[in-house]
Amino acid sequence: MQLASQNAPSPDIVIPHFVLGGLTWLCATLLITFSPEAFTQHYFNPKLLSITHLLVLGWITMVIFGALYQLIPVIMEVKLFSQKLAISSLAFLATGTILLSTAFWQFKLGLLTHIAATFIIIAVILFGINVFSTAHQSHKESIERDFILTSIIWLFFTVAAGFTLALNLTDPFLSPPHIELLKLHAHAGIAGWFLQLILGVSSRLLPMFMVSHHLTMQKLKLAYYLINAGLITGIISLYLQERTITIVSVLILISGIISFLSFLTEAYKKRIKKILDIGMKQSLMSFLILLVPLILVIVLFFDFLLPDEITVPLSIAYGSALLLGFITSLIMGQTYKTLPFIVWLKVYRQKVGKGKIPLPKDLYSEKALNVQLWLFASGFIVLFGGILTGKDIAISIAGAILFCSVLLYNFNIFKIIFHKPITEKL
Amino acid sequence: MNPEKEKIRTLLKGVIDPELMVNIVDLGLVYHITMDEDKMRIIIDMTLTSPGCPLGEVITNSARELIVENYPGHSVEINLVWEPAWSHDRLTAEGRAALGGY
Repeated sequence: MQLASQNAPSPDIVIPHFVLGGLTWLCATLLITFSPEAFTQHYFNPKLLSITHLLVLGWITMVIFGALYQLIPVIMEVKLFSQKLAISSLAFLATGTILLSTAFWQFKLGLLTHIAATFIIIAVILFGINVFSTAHQSHKESIERDFILTSIIWLFFTVAAGFTLALNLTDPFLSPPHIELLKLHAHAGIAGWFLQLILGVSSRLLPMFMVSHHLTMQKLKLAYYLINAGLITGIISLYLQERTITIVSVLILISGIISFLSFLTEAYKKRIKKILDIGMKQSLMSFLILLVPLILVIVLFFDFLLPDEITVPLSIAYGSALLLGFITSLIMGQTYKTLPFIVWLKVYRQKVGKGKIPLPKDLYSEKALNVQLWLFASGFIVLFGGILTGKDIAISIAGAILFCSVLLYNFNIFKIIFHKPITEKL
Repeated sequence: MNPEKEKIRTLLKGVIDPELMVNIVDLGLVYHITMDEDKMRIIIDMTLTSPGCPLGEVITNSARELIVENYPGHSVEINLVWEPAWSHDRLTAEGRAALGGY
């Protein structure tokens, strides 16, 4: 069996994803700071659409693509199929994201949106071909692999649905109201793509980092089937506007998430590495934060009993809790488990055993990371409060705090990637 | 264990898993040491905490370089084995203490 590090792709295809993702997140915090009204009006407004797509494509999807290229050798135990496809996909994703966010910001939903959406679809197709071809080379069957491959199918569905929505907005041809279709697109992306990908990767990585063994894999299989069953019925019911079935499907989906959280709790209790580093602590915290949007979505079941003045901010708070509270927090935490190792391997691979060399954790500033975490937590709480209370000033302050946090995150990313070798003779 | 094998085992305590910050001997990763002084050959059978361990190559290279440096002229072979699979039972008392008292 080849070792994971022998199957690792060139850092030159992974690192640009982290750099572009980090800088995009930084830009998004500026938009939050200077356009707080995006969060205090109805969620279908140009600025919130723009910020949301900048985050989900330019930050979250971008980093996930890069991290996955690094993680596939670990999970599937084979080399990535094509590094050229990875670079091409990156180019299309980056360009498409900039065009789409610009189009939404200006609310120009014609040709610019269609070109942007096409670029993004091409990026996803190239990425999908790469990952599925890699999986085809691998004989390693696992539930983590199933999560990843299924999430990519949902990603394709999400971008195709998004493109269809863009067409429908300018020239309506779909019968359900556009706002309902937006929920379908959003949840296919959040639960189908992000959540499943995260669960698949986390179910391998987190026990590995905590050194947890003999875990109940049935919980993962149950999570997989419940989440996908919930998603499929949910998507169909949203399209057909069958409210009761939508509620049932959400409950099925939540049951799947609970099954996964049970698996993670077991891994935590059975861990051999008792003292967890800061990257792991943030990652585990983000799974706790996941409970917030789960509670909110249950409250939103009763939106027909509540006025828009309450349901609209709750919906925006729900989306923010998912994208920023859970997913962003997890990605920022796992960056410190992934990126330092990638650069460290590149710089020190040939020097191992020939002198005293730094450890991966020595490539970044732990002090900056600690401050980053506190700022992120504060910024998120203030943002959440600002959304619920409808206060623009609170959202601007939150944006500024998050900007400082993400600045430190980017500082550490650049500190890691520009690390120069240090070797002391033994 | 014969003195040379014991010496090699002690040397291997200098190989640290960079993620866990514990040496590979106290982690229980070193299964068997074979030394053929006539043929000047050293074979170490070892494993990793998980098959997908991204630091596997680093750990095995560290082990090889360390032994080569201390036994010039010898051929050093590191065999990665996956059976029996590693488990926490193989941790030494020092390894458990280093991991936070497991």
